[in-house]
Amino acid sequence: MSEQLGIEAYAAYLPAYVLEHNQLDATGLPRPGGPTRGVAAFDEDSVTLAVEALRHVAGATPEGRQLLLATTSAPYDAKTAAGIVHEALGLDPGVAAVDLRGHRSGATALDLVLRAGASAALADVRQTRPGAPDELAQGDAAAAFTGGTGAATLLARAGHTTEVLERWRLPGERTDRIWDERFTADILVAAGREAAGRALVDAGLDAVDHVVVSSSNARAAATLRRALGGAGEDARIERAAGFTGAAHPGLLLAATLDIAEPGQTVLLVSATEGADAFVLRVGDGVRAARGGASVRDQLAARQPLGYGRYLRWRGLLDVQGPARPAAPAPAAPPMHRRAGWKFRLEGSVCDACGTVTTPPSRACAACGIVAEIPGKRISLRDQVARVVSVTTDHLTTMPEDAVDIVVADVEGGGRLTAYATDVPAGSVAVGDAVRPVFRRLWTTDGIHNYFWKLRPQEDNR
Amino acid sequence: MGTKRMTHDVAIVAMGCTPFRDHWNSSADDLLVDAVTECLAALPEVQLADVDAFWVGTQGSGMSGQTLARPLRLVGKPVTRVENYCATGSEAFRNAAFAVASGAYDVVMATGVEKLKDSSQAGLSAVYPPSDGTDVDWTAPAGFSLLAPAYQQAHGVGDRDLRSALTHVAVKNHANGSRNSRAQFQKAIAPEVVESSPKIAGPLGVMDCSGVSDGAAAAILVRAEDAYKYTDKPIFLRGMSFVAGSGAGLAADGYDFTTFPEVVLAAQQAYEQAGVSDPATEISLAEVHDCFTPTELVLMEDLGFSERGKAWRDILDGRYDLDGALPVNSDGGLKSFGHPIGATGLRMMFECFTQLRGEAGERQVPDARLAVAQNLGGQPGSCVAFVAVLGTEPSTREEVGG
Repeated sequence: MSEQLGIEAYAAYLPAYVLEHNQLDATGLPRPGGPTRGVAAFDEDSVTLAVEALRHVAGATPEGRQLLLATTSAPYDAKTAAGIVHEALGLDPGVAAVDLRGHRSGATALDLVLRAGASAALADVRQTRPGAPDELAQGDAAAAFTGGTGAATLLARAGHTTEVLERWRLPGERTDRIWDERFTADILVAAGREAAGRALVDAGLDAVDHVVVSSSNARAAATLRRALGGAGEDARIERAAGFTGAAHPGLLLAATLDIAEPGQTVLLVSATEGADAFVLRVGDGVRAARGGASVRDQLAARQPLGYGRYLRWRGLLDVQGPARPAAPAPAAPPMHRRAGWKFRLEGSVCDACGTVTTPPSRACAACGIVAEIPGKRISLRDQVARVVSVTTDHLTTMPEDAVDIVVADVEGGGRLTAYATDVPAGSVAVGDAVRPVFRRLWTTDGIHNYFWKLRPQEDNR
Repeated sequence: MGTKRMTHDVAIVAMGCTPFRDHWNSSADDLLVDAVTECLAALPEVQLADVDAFWVGTQGSGMSGQTLARPLRLVGKPVTRVENYCATGSEAFRNAAFAVASGAYDVVMATGVEKLKDSSQAGLSAVYPPSDGTDVDWTAPAGFSLLAPAYQQAHGVGDRDLRSALTHVAVKNHANGSRNSRAQFQKAIAPEVVESSPKIAGPLGVMDCSGVSDGAAAAILVRAEDAYKYTDKPIFLRGMSFVAGSGAGLAADGYDFTTFPEVVLAAQQAYEQAGVSDPATEISLAEVHDCFTPTELVLMEDLGFSERGKAWRDILDGRYDLDGALPVNSDGGLKSFGHPIGATGLRMMFECFTQLRGEAGERQVPDARLAVAQNLGGQPGSCVAFVAVLGTEPSTREEVGG
């Protein structure tokens, strides 16, 4: 680790869907210019969001570092979600995998990236009751960072802990409870101002080029932005994406790094359960430091989602499914034996003829030659594939009327049979280009079944 | 038989087949007893105790040879349970045939059964071993529907033409089933009924899918040289092949979903044994695995009945209709006769047996001499395939190589 502290690389991941209204009875037009929220698809959770964000930046995380997953919506209690992300990224076993929980965990993860060189995903799926006042003001997203100095260096940081009952949720509950935001805003604004002031003094700065404020309390965020002289670009991002929980300081920082010029300064304040403030100087390598598409491009590429479909995806509307048994739960030993395939989409490469066999097999699917153990492996997860044939399953057990299933050939070798995702049923055609994305197929018997799906290749992403 | 000639040729001397339908008041045991009883009744001088060995095929309606030994209270008999997806009934037949061909037994029985309707699910059911959860959890129609867009793409067939060909398969097989009192659906249907049925997978609607039913079937096999001791109308097994696919079609690139390579190979081997060089003109009728309408379309090419890329046209021209040049699924097929998995392969044999004996009544194919029974299981890209050629005459051992 170098003496200098900061961010080496970063990426944001925004799900493909945007919810623009939440009217159960759509008798009138939605309020124009109102907030919209990003919505994770039915097959996404904080683990899959984290994988999609980190896969672009964290591949080379060295042994001895930590992989952190900060979230308020972990898919398991007790089981470490970061371990699943670690496996999907194919990181060295010497990299520790750790979950950070709670609203403040996003800022804490960023702190550990900046000061300890960790790799981190800040990922969250935000859930309110249908019709809650802030339903459209919450959102789902992930941001990922690795330690280093390519994107930014840390000039100063400050933290301020305040115990306050602001947003909370009991184990097993699905939605946060909220105290009167006028009371908690006062607490958070005071904490934010205090932390920001100290960080700026330590950095020796009177003013910065970019002020970025993230807060679990929208009123506090607005007040702090005004008080710290922010231009409001962070508010515009938030109005489109929603407040994304533990991911939020990361998402807003990523959106800022997308547009900041080398040498500029950034003040990031995260005001939740106290406050964390970071002063950064944007690095010369900031343009190259981004993995994947910019936050703004991803926001622009989203497809509108109907409110009824959103409710069904979230299990908030109990809809009659097909007369089919639930998809079976995976079993632990085969998942462990075939982790390379399941989590990293690895095929085996034939020593004799070079054919890629999926799932990996001792015997080549083309020539039948039996490989030495262990055979050569190749990961297909970052490759483009072409659809060979496709069908639409109208009896799917997923919370959709129909889902496309495709067989696709990977450029460079290998065949994948998988569910299509982020695309309307019936719209995939033979010859289309698709690429793998890590998703949650289904949950049966309390076991989340993660595997790869295929998503249409976008030109701009 | 594999690709080699068996030591002894084999003949079918009696068969039985229950109606295929919702047998709410019959168990798998009852259905097996019914099929075996009908089969034995055809040979008054043969008793159950005279049968030396038994095979029973079932995918999920029973475990072990006791699936048959228990309902029939067989005493001291070898009974083997086999399973090979939807080709399970054919697999029972194949192993029984080997047993008499080897000389190990004089008289054997092949049976098949499935009880699908006791669950509350429509569609086929199966239990799979614990897995890593990475397989697509698709329905059978979804897997087979992959044939449609791939076939269109490969052969430049328009949506309307393909739809019309698939519809014709369904309409034809229901028309045939309407002439068969054992069929699950004995009602002719209009094209509009097929095309307006609720969609199941891709272009396939409910009426593109085979009937899900309960049923059983049975056959008694002996060495060909002994056949006339039992009946004056034995039917001879002229060729038989079975291929369990390697699954390469789903595990590596290259397979294009317009064919079942396993069927092509099995057909080649069965035809060679039977001395058939031009199946399109030499075969009198065929029972094929029309689990879904695109399956029958592709099989017409895989079995050598139509040129590659031309089956859709031949189907529309009526070539495979009951009064066409090569009637296919004269009993209604899986589509309208129904598909109790373990019984289906033997049901196909039953129709070939009935037709070749000239006993098919109003659906009789004139002058039927050679029949093909083709049965498969799994899905395109990863299937098991069986093809048999049955004939009214025994093979002349000199004329067939091996």
